[in-house]
Amino acid sequence: GRYLQLSPCRCYSIVPPAQDSAEKDMLDRMLRVDHAGEYGANRIYAGQMAVLGRTETGPIIQKMWDQEKAHLKVFNELMADNRVRPTILMPLWNLAGFALEGAMACTVAVEESISEHYNSQIRTLMEEDPDKYKELLQLIKKFRDEEMEHHDTGLEHDAELAPAYSLMKNIIQVGCKAAIYMSERI
Amino acid sequence: MAALLRALRIGQALRGLRAAQRSQCDEVKRTFQTAAVLRRVADDPKQEQVPPYSSSFHQNYQSMHPESESSRPNTSYADQHGEQAEDYETEEQLQIRMLTAALEFVPKHGWSVEAIAEGAQMLGLSPAAAGMFSNGAGDLIQHFVAQCNSNLSENLAEQHKLVQLGQTEPKKTDEFLRDAVEARLRMLIPYIEIWPQAMSILLLPHNIPESLKHLSTLVDDIWYYAGDRSTDLNWYTRRAALTGIYNTTELVMVQDSSPDFEETWKFLENRVSDVMNMANTAKQVQSTGEAVVQGIIGAAITLKNLTGINQRR
Repeated sequence: GRYLQLSPCRCYSIVPPAQDSAEKDMLDRMLRVDHAGEYGANRIYAGQMAVLGRTETGPIIQKMWDQEKAHLKVFNELMADNRVRPTILMPLWNLAGFALEGAMACTVAVEESISEHYNSQIRTLMEEDPDKYKELLQLIKKFRDEEMEHHDTGLEHDAELAPAYSLMKNIIQVGCKAAIYMSERI
Repeated sequence: MAALLRALRIGQALRGLRAAQRSQCDEVKRTFQTAAVLRRVADDPKQEQVPPYSSSFHQNYQSMHPESESSRPNTSYADQHGEQAEDYETEEQLQIRMLTAALEFVPKHGWSVEAIAEGAQMLGLSPAAAGMFSNGAGDLIQHFVAQCNSNLSENLAEQHKLVQLGQTEPKKTDEFLRDAVEARLRMLIPYIEIWPQAMSILLLPHNIPESLKHLSTLVDDIWYYAGDRSTDLNWYTRRAALTGIYNTTELVMVQDSSPDFEETWKFLENRVSDVMNMANTAKQVQSTGEAVVQGIIGAAITLKNLTGINQRR
């Protein structure tokens, strides 16, 4: 249909063209929320660098931030190529990301949420048609693995020693889930 | 006992029939059967080619008639009549042909069921076939709008391809927007006298969702080909701005009496440059705002120093 007609001529294409509007909706939602999430992650690391940049964990945070920037770049391209509407909550992700700066504990909580979220996307795509979505699955798996790395790095740096860690972790994760739910839709 | 079994079997047969009918619960399909019967009676030659815009039209029709996807070619119909002609056209294709034919009669009859009936007659169908459109005039107008949007999309895609092949220079954004909106509005010229009627019909509550969808598709297409690849709030502000430009220019056009709608194009040019300026102005306002805030903070600190509040002895 309309979308097939307008897909650009690229040598490779990660997201297969959608057959019908239901599939297009599903892919749109996935890309929209992934894009918003990576954007938020970027802001979190930007905030962390602002606070912890000069400490010993500075370089580690910088490395993780660079990886997130690469993720965001990929999603920006995918969004543009597939004519996906970005979530209108982008400013909120910006704000929330920056507000969460300050501790490795936040990183751990958020990365856990994001990994869980990527896992459920992988499950959905596998249920639908693993062959068709092969490249997209590879991409999401790669990103999920990198997020898990960030999560483990955060744990290594004694994030769990932060006061009220479990309470903060739960609050952040609930917040993440809510943000993901809304960004998929609006 | 035997009578009971017979009654059960009849009941099952009826239920099966009703289920088959319920699977086409759309009234449209029921009237379509009559129309198709009439079509075969009228012995209309099959139209081989489906017009290219029908693909986008299908998407819109799929939203209205979710069962009638062209990927499932009316197997229930074939079941009911026990035959399946190879050159059988789907319901959507027939509806598209009828509405396209009806457009010819719009200047005379306005956007109405009469125009559709005339179109049906021209195709050799009974005028009663117009009853297949439950929304009548609304369907006709939505079809016309979808057709125009598709044509514009195709033109923009063509231009885009030429630019990518290096055969033409890419246009600047404001020129591109102006040309795209002008091209789209020019498609209204043959119907401009009765376009206000169409606009008011599109504003009826049951037509608003679909007309909004057409408008947003149009605006998205134009910005995409203008080169917009934004993935933040700019995506929304740009489309909102272009929607405003398009709607106001359309309104100006319907009451423009200058030769070749010069006034309209001049209005369009002004609106587009307004939007371009606004983007620059927004940046300027922001930096001015920041400077002002800093000035105020500086003044407040000075005041605190003068009054001795800041003293720490």
